[in-house]
Amino acid sequence: MKRINDRYAKWCKLTDTKKIRSYFLSVLIIGLTAILCSPLANTQSYHVVSYILLFVVSIISTFLGIGPVLLASTLSAVLWNYYFIPPHFTFHIEKTEDLLIFGLFFIIALVNGILTTRVIRQEKVAREREKRTNALFQLTKELSRASGTDEVLKVAANEMVDHFPGVPAFFLQDGNNKLVRLWTRDESLSISGSFNTAMWVFANLQPAGAHTKNSFSDPLTYYPLLGTRLNPGVVAIHNSLPVPEEQQSYWDTFLAQISNALEREFLGEMAQKVRFLDESDRLYKTLFNSISHELRIPVATIMGASDSILNSSPSPRFQSELCHEIFTASLRLNRLIENLLNISRLESGHISVRLDWCDINDLINKVLEDLEAELQPFSLQVLIPEDMPLIKIDFGLMEQVLYNLLFNSTQYAPAGSAIDLTVAYTGKELKMDITDRGPGLPEKYIERVFSKFFRADGSKTGGLGLGLSIVKGFVEAHNGSVSASNVTPCGAKFTLRIPSEIPSISNV
Amino acid sequence: MDGNEVILIIDDELQIRRLLEITLSEKGYKIVMSLNGKEGITDAATHHPALVILDLGLPDMDGQEVLTKLREWYYKPIIVLSVRNSEEEIIKALDNGANDYLTKPFRTGELLARIRAAIRSSDHTGDDAILYFGSLSIDMASHVVRKNNEFIKLTSTEFSLLALLAKNSGRVLTHQYILKEVWGYGYIEQTQYLRVFIAQLRRKIEDNPSRPQLLVTESGIGYRFSE
Repeated sequence: MKRINDRYAKWCKLTDTKKIRSYFLSVLIIGLTAILCSPLANTQSYHVVSYILLFVVSIISTFLGIGPVLLASTLSAVLWNYYFIPPHFTFHIEKTEDLLIFGLFFIIALVNGILTTRVIRQEKVAREREKRTNALFQLTKELSRASGTDEVLKVAANEMVDHFPGVPAFFLQDGNNKLVRLWTRDESLSISGSFNTAMWVFANLQPAGAHTKNSFSDPLTYYPLLGTRLNPGVVAIHNSLPVPEEQQSYWDTFLAQISNALEREFLGEMAQKVRFLDESDRLYKTLFNSISHELRIPVATIMGASDSILNSSPSPRFQSELCHEIFTASLRLNRLIENLLNISRLESGHISVRLDWCDINDLINKVLEDLEAELQPFSLQVLIPEDMPLIKIDFGLMEQVLYNLLFNSTQYAPAGSAIDLTVAYTGKELKMDITDRGPGLPEKYIERVFSKFFRADGSKTGGLGLGLSIVKGFVEAHNGSVSASNVTPCGAKFTLRIPSEIPSISNV
Repeated sequence: MDGNEVILIIDDELQIRRLLEITLSEKGYKIVMSLNGKEGITDAATHHPALVILDLGLPDMDGQEVLTKLREWYYKPIIVLSVRNSEEEIIKALDNGANDYLTKPFRTGELLARIRAAIRSSDHTGDDAILYFGSLSIDMASHVVRKNNEFIKLTSTEFSLLALLAKNSGRVLTHQYILKEVWGYGYIEQTQYLRVFIAQLRRKIEDNPSRPQLLVTESGIGYRFSE
């Protein structure tokens, strides 16, 4: 608190005691000079004394105000007359020449004193102005560098403390013109402003509290932070004295800079919120469209086909074809539901991996059996090393992973092409490559194929874009990784790596 | 070989009941329907069904509880037919005495096959000296296994494993159950033994060991000896 008080003294006008002291000082200096010059009080050299006194007065004017300087010049003229101009110890001046010199002395002392004081004062003002300009420049620079409301507030508070007395507290609005938040740099310094006063200031956009027309007997002074499009809030500061007249515009500019920076952050945050809402709105629409499409197509098939069978007594061949369509549609629906359930399991974090020893042949057989119809048109090559050890995985989850990857290949690769499934155990991990001879993955999307609901542009096959994100989720649940790449001349390749121990020989 | 056995269906879903009724009565089975667990237990006692098809999500009590209550006195096959597809739930049902487990949605062909297998194996007293599965014959007394009339050399553990699965043909046996029966209680967690021996057995008895038809894997649950 002492530091702050010191700054008060500097910042405010000189106090009354200091004024009296400076008058006293000027009298003392002139008096001392006169005493020191007393040996020269003979008839020959009293003119020299006048020069000495003039010099002293001009010295005084460099560091004392106008009042003490006037006093010094008057006093020196009087003293010179009284002690040095013959006849000594009288105000009487004998020679006309001396009278003239006395008059000139008085005028020179006055003019000299006044001019010097003015120059000094102007210099001081200029220096002060430069200091303020620098402070404002510094503030602007720091504020523009700060990003985020909190950082802006921190910078603002630091700069305010450096250039003004008192620690500020900021009341901020929530974006709907309601003050909701109190921010102080140092919470231990508990400057708890009153929300009521702050709200009044925010509503009326006028300063309030101590030293204002609307004091509300609040010890703090509240200033509105005014922006061009929205007002960020209110700043409260503890001043034992009002802001001096000549500092007012400096203070206002300071606050304006802070307001602008806060406003900038506010608008930025609001824009971001809007962007986020737009994004989630877009995602919702895409999701809604694709889910309703994906659900409706098989349902439409089932409804239409069964309706034909029921109402138009089709030929047995046609009837069996319709039944086949119904069956295919129901498989598609089932797959969709399975994927939706799996993705929500992943999303909710309800995936528990039950690791158990697994014969990889067993896993692959199981998946190939489930995909028998889909794999029919392809030539599938499975490469499993003879000495493939047992590995520890969750059978059910990995079954789904492999199913989704192979199913994916059957959807994109042309009928009759080859699909390769290669398995290896190297470096304490299971590695599986699934390579097809389809069109491959669009290069610019290759990073995104595992994201939820991602569909490549112009994707001809149905689906929600969940299959590969489920693969990624399940593989990551095993602490493994999955990557996608393209192979030459054509085709996509998915590589799974799953860390796994193998049973020690003595175990079996 | 579908007969006129009575099948009890305990399920509260109208559409599933309709589907089962149409499919099963077309095959000649006589159907008894129960809409909830309590009714199901009473119906099982009064109608002496040859097989029970049980749903787990019943309005009055949990299907697992119905299963436990039925198993206190009912020794005929019970097939659980449920939308619950977690491995925990399936293993629990099998431990509680279910012979088989099918998840909804299911293929009716698959269900009929499971029903046939379950009824047939329950007809057998299990004391047959020789079991025949296609070209495979298993002589329980002399421990001789033949495929296409050719003698197949099996180790004693391999034979115990095969015999256990074959005696329970059509029925899903959990990993833990098989380990306990063949290796003993202390080995219940040692699934790697089971994997290795199943792979060895498949190489010896299957036509195509990479596409097994007899020793079928039930993902994450166990194995079934299929006929």
